[in-house]
Amino acid sequence: MSALLSRMSRRHAREAPPTAALGIVLIAMGVVAPSFFSAGNLRDLALNNVAVMIVALGMTLVVLTGEIDISVGSQFAVCSVAAGMLAKAGVPIMLVPVFVLALGVLMGALNGLLIGMLGLPSIIVTLAMMVAWRDTLRWTTDGAWIQDLPANFQWFGMSPEAAQLMIMAVGVALATSGAWALRHLALGRRVYAVGADAEAARLAGIDPRMVKFGVFATTGMLVSIGAMLNAVRFSTVPSNAGIGFELQAVAAVVVGGTAITGGRGTILGTVIGVALLGAIGTALTYVGIGPFWVKAIQGLIILAALGGDALFTRLARRAHLPARAVVAH
Amino acid sequence: MQLSLTEARLPLRVRLFPNKEWVLLIVIVAEVVVYGITGTNFATLGNAFEITRLSVEIGLLALALTPVIVSGGIDLSIGSMMGLSAVAFGYFWRDAGLPIPVAIVFTLMIGMAGGALNAVFITRFKFPPLIVTLGTLSLYRGIAEGVTGGVQHYSGFPAGFLHLGQGYIGGHVPTQLVVLALVALWSAWSLHRTGAGRALYAIGHSAEGARYAGIPVARRLATVYVLSGAAASLAALVYVAHLGQAKSDAGTGYELMAITAVVLGGASIFGGRGTILGTLLGLFSIVLLQNGLRLTGQPAELSGILVGVLLIGTILVDVFTQHAATRAAPSPTATEQPDVRNSQVAVLSAVILLGALIVAASNWVLVNSLRHDLRGGPSMTAASPGATATHRTLIAMMPKAKGDPYFISAHKGADSAAAALGVDLLWDGPTDLDAAKQNEVVEAWITRGVNAIAVSVENREAISTVLRKARERGIKVVTWDADAEANARDFFVNQATPEGIGNTLTDEAARIMGGSGELAIITASLSAANQNEWITFIKLRLAAKYPRITLVAIQPSDGDRDRAFAETQTVLKVHPKVKVVMAIAAPAVPGAAEAVKQSGRKDVKVTGLSLPNMCRPYIKSGEIESIVLWNTMDLGALTVRVAQALASGELGAGASTLDAGRMGSFQVVGSEVRLGLPFIFNRTNIDRFNF
Repeated sequence: MSALLSRMSRRHAREAPPTAALGIVLIAMGVVAPSFFSAGNLRDLALNNVAVMIVALGMTLVVLTGEIDISVGSQFAVCSVAAGMLAKAGVPIMLVPVFVLALGVLMGALNGLLIGMLGLPSIIVTLAMMVAWRDTLRWTTDGAWIQDLPANFQWFGMSPEAAQLMIMAVGVALATSGAWALRHLALGRRVYAVGADAEAARLAGIDPRMVKFGVFATTGMLVSIGAMLNAVRFSTVPSNAGIGFELQAVAAVVVGGTAITGGRGTILGTVIGVALLGAIGTALTYVGIGPFWVKAIQGLIILAALGGDALFTRLARRAHLPARAVVAH
Repeated sequence: MQLSLTEARLPLRVRLFPNKEWVLLIVIVAEVVVYGITGTNFATLGNAFEITRLSVEIGLLALALTPVIVSGGIDLSIGSMMGLSAVAFGYFWRDAGLPIPVAIVFTLMIGMAGGALNAVFITRFKFPPLIVTLGTLSLYRGIAEGVTGGVQHYSGFPAGFLHLGQGYIGGHVPTQLVVLALVALWSAWSLHRTGAGRALYAIGHSAEGARYAGIPVARRLATVYVLSGAAASLAALVYVAHLGQAKSDAGTGYELMAITAVVLGGASIFGGRGTILGTLLGLFSIVLLQNGLRLTGQPAELSGILVGVLLIGTILVDVFTQHAATRAAPSPTATEQPDVRNSQVAVLSAVILLGALIVAASNWVLVNSLRHDLRGGPSMTAASPGATATHRTLIAMMPKAKGDPYFISAHKGADSAAAALGVDLLWDGPTDLDAAKQNEVVEAWITRGVNAIAVSVENREAISTVLRKARERGIKVVTWDADAEANARDFFVNQATPEGIGNTLTDEAARIMGGSGELAIITASLSAANQNEWITFIKLRLAAKYPRITLVAIQPSDGDRDRAFAETQTVLKVHPKVKVVMAIAAPAVPGAAEAVKQSGRKDVKVTGLSLPNMCRPYIKSGEIESIVLWNTMDLGALTVRVAQALASGELGAGASTLDAGRMGSFQVVGSEVRLGLPFIFNRTNIDRFNF
């Protein structure tokens, strides 16, 4: 039993700091404002953060390979607007996700081509894409919202309760299957291998270029799913969706214990990171602290997560365990 | 010894441009030639100096970022540090009562302290710079917003200080250009000509190797981050002097523009490569592009697309010339690099083709707009009372933010009025709220030589200087939607005073609530000037007339519908007794209404300031009781009419009415043209409006 516990704690040690922080926030809320835990609030929190979480799943893969993708916010906006335009043009609502998904994969694959195949630095390529997609969208929509959508656009034409359940189910399914695939499939192990040492991975017969290409294309797909699920919660599509998403997603990934240098980190950590950063704003409103300090507190959480990570690494070293062996591999 | 000999024999091209920065030189020459021919007054000395004035703040950040990136790091916190420094400077000068020079020194120290915090995390705890500065990006902006509550700002700086950002040296050279030149020279010298600077290249190539070579890596890196913090503070000072106002939102998003300039300039994001000259070339090629698009009247959104293509294009050229070099002279490392495959060449060709297509498309737009000018010119003059036979009146009109639905509808009205009056309308402005960008656009219009300028002012102090300059050059200036200082414009098209808006909103909310209960406000961003002014009057009105109404929460939406939705959900749960949610930003009202709808609460109503089309479904289904607004299309149309009447001399000081054709006649009071009272849209009248 204790052996199991220690294995568990060693396996998930990287997620310990954000889990502890989330625990502190939740306990504090339980004492100060128990109504925070009402079913309605938890449901709303989940629905409002599911899109960021799905995007952050993709970002986790990208960061695990040692790269970064800051074009996700702009891709998110392009996919949202595309969903609205397609629905308005008369495409059956059940076919809209198919097209949007294809668009997301295409945008991700373009990143993947330039970064994976041609070996260009990801921060530059995705910076260029972020600006280019955003301005393309501004140019084509002129800032106008997509309005007068068919009535079955909102909630896919289902009842709101059923659709909300479905949105959350998709989020949970993506997170669990992602976590499982990263841990148990050869494909998932390759992501870690490439992130830990691309050259070693290449010598071991893995093509790092294909892995990176796949990771960026997958991220594009996840972004389009997130955009689709978010768009159908409303009856109109604003053209400025997803501004600042890239920073939210990167922050959640990092707070969740994934090393920005690649090779270390888990989906579970990212989900906890999203929960922590997503809950903090609402929690402050419940406690009655003004919204002015939210940004400063989120910055402190990121730095604290780094501090926790460093502390953990130091402790691990003291215990004569190489840091890498402690990771959830 | 051997090395220095070979280096001396390298051709000048390689020594000056080690990272193929000559590509940028070609781009710059191409831009100058294309825009010099197609743009109005592009190739003039005055424009050359104006362009450089606008690039100083970003330039300072980019110069400081170059050594950071050369050392293999990055600093994302510089934009936020500008916000914090601007607020700190305002505090030191006004609240602490320090003289300007002392306040400047203290502000620079704040910047260095912020840089030092980054340095401690990066060098002492060995955290990746990307993450550390991502955290401090949030932290510094958050502190700036926290201490000012988003609302407070500082203005009224003495003229001597404002000269730094608005004045000229010797009549032509903008003051801050001298600052940029000095910093550039100093950075070039210290990065390329000192041991400490050269050490950064070694660190960028291999920090571990540099350490073995006896370089104090931690100390060198710390210096670089402290200097980058100081440079951000310096940029903030220039920014404040340029705009005449210090606010917590200074420098938002500047970090990405600075990074773009540095990387475009040939610096490798992995470290070890990059030059100050390259950074300057990168900076100017972006700034020239934006200015050129403006003066040729092409959509400013093209700049983002072209910069993106340029970024990827330059690194592609770099990667492939390197491949070619390694193949020509095989070195021990060459075997580790994968060879260029046919598939890669195909991809490269595809990317180049895509870039070419985009450039071709932009030229097509340009040619089309020129053709439109030529064709539309003579035939319309008969219908235009104000235009001379050879020259159609050109009216330049600027919204606060182009993407805002409120301004999109005003644009529609302005367009139809321009067509009816036979004048040309130039519609341009920032994509999001950005006071500095507004100045930039007005400067471009002055250079271009338009007949009249109409501005919806984001920042009163910031824009007035440049508007006065426009008037000095004989351009008629109108403000609309929000006013500048009275002597900076000829007329103000006033749709409603902040007091009138605040009172109408409050009265409407009180009517719905029956005079008592709890009220919550969803505003735009916490530092939005307009909304904060309205909130002030709402609070005054509540205190004076409705003592039984309590304002329980003011939450931000950042102009984002989804954020307004989430904030409203939380407010409804935390304050279950709230009867009315008042949303005072156009996208926030439908967001709040959707939240009320999904909560199933029939006892909560939404009111606020928004557009009829956006809110129509919710007004019909009952979540929104009413919205307060004026006819924004009329506002746009009236503004064009006022500008045209001014340009033709029809409207002058002392007029008491203005005839606006279809819309009827409008009252003129002093130098204000009044649109009329705010209008309340509700279920009974909403269908009569379409904007």
